[in-house]
Amino acid sequence: MSAAKRVQQWATFARTWHVFDCKWQDPYESANIIKKYLMGLHKPIYHPLNDCGDVVVCINSRNIALRGDDWRQRAYFHHTGYPGGASWTLAWELHNKDPTLIIKKAVYRAMKGNLQRRHTMERLFIYPGEHIPAEVQQNVSNQIRQIRRVPERLDHIPEEEVKNFPKVMDYPENYILK
Amino acid sequence: MAALVRAGFLSAKNTVLSTTVRCLSTTKPLRLKEIKEQREGTTLVVEAVTAASPRSELLVRAEKIKDLVPIVTEASAKPCYMCALGLDVKHTDVLILSQFVRTDGCMLPRRITGLCRRQQKKIGKMVSMAQKAGLMINLTPAACKKDPTRRREHKKFNTYFDENTIFMKKIPKPVDRFKR
Ligand SMILES: [Zn+2]
Repeated sequence: MSAAKRVQQWATFARTWHVFDCKWQDPYESANIIKKYLMGLHKPIYHPLNDCGDVVVCINSRNIALRGDDWRQRAYFHHTGYPGGASWTLAWELHNKDPTLIIKKAVYRAMKGNLQRRHTMERLFIYPGEHIPAEVQQNVSNQIRQIRRVPERLDHIPEEEVKNFPKVMDYPENYILK
Repeated sequence: MAALVRAGFLSAKNTVLSTTVRCLSTTKPLRLKEIKEQREGTTLVVEAVTAASPRSELLVRAEKIKDLVPIVTEASAKPCYMCALGLDVKHTDVLILSQFVRTDGCMLPRRITGLCRRQQKKIGKMVSMAQKAGLMINLTPAACKKDPTRRREHKKFNTYFDENTIFMKKIPKPVDRFKR
């Protein structure tokens, strides 16, 4: 085997570490993307019996964005197994308790429920903030593209730019500005 | 004692001033009419001149864009300026939405914006979406909780909105996309 072929062999079967920035991303939409990288569905050599999944590191999971009223409409169900042990936790309550759980459950549910699922989940790292431990960060070599653009706040845009932005609406003639 | 006397004096002064002095302003930076004084020889001419709107030279209109394909409407009615432009405005486009609000973040009425009914509704909803998402927090009343991170309960987390829900009669319940 030539040196080039050997390197190609390594590169094909090595685990790549991807980073995904969850800031302002919908966890349920990004779960479908993260799932593909975790299971190795993005690789041409994919086969369910072939352990070719990658590692995904999610950062900023505290700053995920849910759509519309979902923060108070989505409930997470848990049952302790005892009579009367059912409990429903709203999404915002769950996010208060642990800011990594919503994205974790979303990825878990996006995958098919088989024996492999829990092993695949072991390859998902979620961090609530920007900070990643150094031993994780040194492996990261790729970034997954975000689905939604992070919206820009009006008070973070420089005032000069706001003033010189093309205007659509003009005031009527005898309007007094407040 | 001295402080007490001073405080009493100040409050007395305030009551006197507030009752006797009227707030009169001659110029304001953004009033569209301004007062100009001009001296011709011995006479002083004071006149109110209609000032140009600060937005006029930045204004974008569909008529001025050359290679814009005009929108064909079945009725002969002229489309309003927003329909004619055919922009795809999202609730995150705060630079556009902030033109339709007052300094307290309240949507301007239709007689001032000059929009058609549908666009007024659409823009108004998108303004409230942007406010709920905390994207225009410098355009809010003074007493409101500006920063979303300082809001209560479910309101303190990031939220985004779907513009397709604006004209829905009833917003459908969220479907479980992972249900099997
Ligand atoms: Zn219109």
